[in-house]
Amino acid sequence: MLKNKNVIVTGAGGGIGLATVNKIAENGGNVWACTRTKTEQFEQDLQNIANQYGVWIKAVYFDMTNESQMKTAIKEISLEKRSIDVLVNAAGTVYNGMFTMTSISKLKEVFEVNYFEQIYIMQLVARLMMRQKKGSIVNVASVSGIETTEGKLAYGSSKAALIYASKTISKELAQYNIRVNALAPGLTDTKMNKEIPDADLQKVLDRSSMKRMANPEEIANAIVFLASDQSSFMTGQVMVVDGGRLWS
Amino acid sequence: MTNLEKYNQAFCETFELANPDFDSLQYMGVEQWDSVGHMSLVAALEDAFDIMMDTDDIIDFSSYLKGKEILKKYEVEI
Ligand SMILES: NC(=O)c1ccc[n+]([C@@H]2O[C@H](COP(=O)([O-])OP(=O)(O)OC[C@H]3O[C@@H](n4cnc5c(N)ncnc54)[C@H](OP(=O)(O)O)[C@@H]3O)[C@@H](O)[C@H]2O)c1
Repeated sequence: MLKNKNVIVTGAGGGIGLATVNKIAENGGNVWACTRTKTEQFEQDLQNIANQYGVWIKAVYFDMTNESQMKTAIKEISLEKRSIDVLVNAAGTVYNGMFTMTSISKLKEVFEVNYFEQIYIMQLVARLMMRQKKGSIVNVASVSGIETTEGKLAYGSSKAALIYASKTISKELAQYNIRVNALAPGLTDTKMNKEIPDADLQKVLDRSSMKRMANPEEIANAIVFLASDQSSFMTGQVMVVDGGRLWS
Repeated sequence: MTNLEKYNQAFCETFELANPDFDSLQYMGVEQWDSVGHMSLVAALEDAFDIMMDTDDIIDFSSYLKGKEILKKYEVEI
């Protein structure tokens, strides 16, 4: 589905991000795998995936809250003079806390990663895609940005903002043949949920039809679909992949 | 090609101008320099000088002369 396409994935060191790198490679795509923390395990994982599927995968490190670091990284990618076919924004941070227990500084911190810097990286990459007159952007939002739940003020509203941004940006970039879609996963088995008490997780799962978490690969499959030409007539959409949690 | 020639060429090619009065060129001053043309100009300049402009500079890039000033920030002397 992505043969010889070049893809930037942020949050590539995370559960969904790494599964996405793997799925892209399995589908013949090359990857700039961007994450914040450099570990031997991450580098080894990328190497193994690249060897297994015969594609190139490059590790790129930046903290999204450091704009100049992020800009330098994207500039270096652009200087390679390859086409950038897809941007997958899978970096994200979570905060669970009631409204009365959410400081404004925490709210800003969550928005910084989940919204403002997602916009910034889209601006940088979209400008490169505009020259090519093609591209696909996939923003990993969340069902938390659609449903309203107690304790999700910071995270949910940042994801709701990202969903809005994906829709409005899709209208502006369509003239350049760039599609922009959002994905709204439900609970997924990654380190992001490790600190949520089991009883709380169970409550959410009980509300869904399939009553289980997603594997990161199931989310990655949907990302690859939105990234590829298989979804060539889709833009400005929010694809919900949640085992029947919303509207069930 | 000198930096000035590259700079002028970006304007001429983007806005399809043959022999313009460069110093008078302004955003929205010629038909092709609208918001879409603006991004094409930025792309042409970024390509020509291997730079990546900040969003604030893209917004401030309101004329041919202002652009020369802005490019100095990216170590491009015109
Ligand atoms: N897991 C779920 O249940 C779930 C459900 C819906 C949506 N999502 C969304 O899916 C996306 C991926 O989440 P995940 O479950 O894979 O979580 P994860 O395993 O915690 O991975 C998050 C990734 O984002 C990176 N990241 C966080 N802050 C960053 C920063 N300031 N700069 C650069 N990178 C940063 C992390 O890098 P480090 O490793 O260096 O921290 C990591 O690679 C997120 O946007 C999340 O909100 C997750």
